[in-house]
Amino acid sequence: MAVAIEGGEKWFRTCDVTGFRVDVRAEKIAKLNAVMAVVSFLIAVIAALLLVLTRWQLFHVLPVDWYYRVLTLHGLDALVFWIIFFELAALVFGSTAFLNTRMSSPAVGWLGTILAIVGWLLVNYTILTGNADVLMTSYAPLKAHPLFYLGMILFAVGALLIVMVFFANLMIWRRENPGQSLPLFVYGLMAAAIIAVITIASGAIIYIPTFLWSLGIISDIDPAVYKLVWWGLGHPSQQINVAAHVSVWYLLAFLTVGGTSINEKVSRFAFILYIIAINVASAHHLLVDPAVSPVWKVWNTSYVMYLAVFASMIHAFAVPSAIEVAQRRRGFTKGLFEWLKAAPWGNPAFSGLMLSMIIFGFIGGITGVVNGMEQTNIIVHNTLSIPGHFKGAVVGGTALAFMSVTYYLIPLLFRKKIAFYGVSKFVPWLFGIGIAILAVSMYILGAFGIPRRHWDITFSGGPFTYTFNPVTDFFWALFGIGGLLAVLGALIWIIQVVVSVFFGQPFRGPQDLQIPIAEPPPAPDKEHEGFAAPGTFALVLLFITAFVIFVALNYGWLSAMWEVK
Amino acid sequence: MAILPPSEGWFQQKVAKDEKIWMGLAFVVSVFLFFWMIIWHVYAKQNPSFTTYRTTPEEFYALTEAFINKYKVGEENGVPVVKPPPGSDVFLLARQFRWEPVVILKKGEEYRFHISSLDVLHGFSLQPVNMNFMVYPKYDYVLTFRPTSAGEYAIVCNEFCGIGHHMMIGKIIVEE
Amino acid sequence: MSEERKTPGLQLFFDDFMLLLFLGVAVYAVSYLIWGLIEIAWLPPIPDEIKQALLGR
Repeated sequence: MAVAIEGGEKWFRTCDVTGFRVDVRAEKIAKLNAVMAVVSFLIAVIAALLLVLTRWQLFHVLPVDWYYRVLTLHGLDALVFWIIFFELAALVFGSTAFLNTRMSSPAVGWLGTILAIVGWLLVNYTILTGNADVLMTSYAPLKAHPLFYLGMILFAVGALLIVMVFFANLMIWRRENPGQSLPLFVYGLMAAAIIAVITIASGAIIYIPTFLWSLGIISDIDPAVYKLVWWGLGHPSQQINVAAHVSVWYLLAFLTVGGTSINEKVSRFAFILYIIAINVASAHHLLVDPAVSPVWKVWNTSYVMYLAVFASMIHAFAVPSAIEVAQRRRGFTKGLFEWLKAAPWGNPAFSGLMLSMIIFGFIGGITGVVNGMEQTNIIVHNTLSIPGHFKGAVVGGTALAFMSVTYYLIPLLFRKKIAFYGVSKFVPWLFGIGIAILAVSMYILGAFGIPRRHWDITFSGGPFTYTFNPVTDFFWALFGIGGLLAVLGALIWIIQVVVSVFFGQPFRGPQDLQIPIAEPPPAPDKEHEGFAAPGTFALVLLFITAFVIFVALNYGWLSAMWEVK
Repeated sequence: MAILPPSEGWFQQKVAKDEKIWMGLAFVVSVFLFFWMIIWHVYAKQNPSFTTYRTTPEEFYALTEAFINKYKVGEENGVPVVKPPPGSDVFLLARQFRWEPVVILKKGEEYRFHISSLDVLHGFSLQPVNMNFMVYPKYDYVLTFRPTSAGEYAIVCNEFCGIGHHMMIGKIIVEE
Repeated sequence: MSEERKTPGLQLFFDDFMLLLFLGVAVYAVSYLIWGLIEIAWLPPIPDEIKQALLGR
């Protein structure tokens, strides 16, 4: 169990595995937020199962009103609650344990957590009682019950309080450690927290008047202003994820193989680019909209000349090269890829890390750039390609990274042994491959013009009809299989977490550690000249080739469409 | 080490050769993508438009009614069919849960489409050419189309607009 | 950590999370939000000649 620390600081325990001093008051808040994250994820996954079996019209299980209701539920629990609660846990834990510092204000931390939970309850309740069939985006003038907007506001305020506690913790650390730099993991979390401030502020700016409008106090919400400001919440909330899961990648590279970024300055520079440029990509959602001009669109959609894409490509080299260099120092130096072959693939956190990077880069990243370019957006906007893209980015990237790191959080944060540890090594594969199949089949279905958020693509009851290319039947089957695999993987993971945390055996010390923590690799014999990570270099060249080809293909396809200006 | 502060002198550490080459390449591709969008605006034929007018649902409804009355040639399943001359302004109205009117166009000719909504947001999704634009109430989005192929095209609503969203389908006919 | 050794200015920038917070919010607020809102506010009405051609007034 926790070892009491000398010196009378009663709120600390010293971790017997990592040696970190952990503020127990912060730990409790982090645990509750992590539990809320998993509960939200469970709701989202059950909803996902119903949605897959409805859109695959062979089954079409939900009636029309429940389809949109469950879609609203899925969107908010998956894209907002699961990941933001997880990130709040990471912010609280990361800014205390990882900095050997104390929680600045446990009271504010608790207040934030409770407000967020009350907001979460209100939102889920109004949706399930049929009072908020407006989907995640709730575009005005579609109107939900006032309690729905109030719930979103409370959640946002709660989250903002915890982000403020995070910055207060950093300031305490700064005062106690003048002149030091943050550990890279916390630095990435700091980037995520800054993006969170922007996200949450935008959410407050738009939800407060919308709440007053739903009460009848304000007569009108302008649809263009709503959509502009709402996406200041909707898109950066996913950029918090990018910053957070890239931080988790660095953390996992260290925990699983002892890998360290080969150049901390480069990695931090990439996080700074995120902070400055990534938020304006909210414009991705307004590219084929009236009101804002193409000048505004091109400038903002490109993250100010693709600085954030540049940053992601820097991380795409930095994380695998950290792994490669550590492995090479251990003696796996043969050829380009011996380091990769000899990697600990049986460790679920490592296989999860690799799959998360591959799916995020090759599926989420590449499709994201095509979707986010002003002109090619014409051929993807609001088709199934859009959720196909963010299944790759957020589910394959973020959710899988968070699931992987949880295998370390169960022993180290919750002090429990992992239940059914033997199945863990299959979970990332089941979930990752399922999501990859799901994402790719959705992207292809979108290319055939199939709309997202649509209950019946045979248009029953409409004045006309339209039949999509029959080839889509094949991709609907793939979509179903991928979705079911991913749901299965997610459910196994949830069962493992719930059983471990609530009914698991206590973790008594290093001898109970099931998932390995790598020793740091031996120091290099001599200064390295030339290429540090040739294998990674080959992989990123493959990536950029695929990237450029995919962009070119989409522009080629676009040029075959009707002319429009 | 991701979990500890970086070792002293981290800021002065030299960037490895392969990382440097990669960063250069990634930066060039990034900047190229930005300028590509501008080049496409200047030289290519598929671009979102610069024109939006402010309107009201009442005004836009009146204009669409007048447009239908002026060019009406028939009716199909309760939806009026219009055949405006090439080069004219075309008014397309979205409302829960239908598109009005059905428009007959001539292949290779230009038409200035004015698209707006009477109630909530809708999505204009032209199939099978798969071109997608957003439709707002109170904003008149002006898109100048030149159909380059003949045939019957569906306008699918692809922004959730309420319980009857899946019934919202319209039509454009392009004649040779 | 010696007190004498001077930290490079750029490193101070890298480490200054409050300055980065300000920059992140400022770029977003100006480039996306304010510019976008101004464009929405300045949209013209439908030109009279288009209205007259259809409504005849």
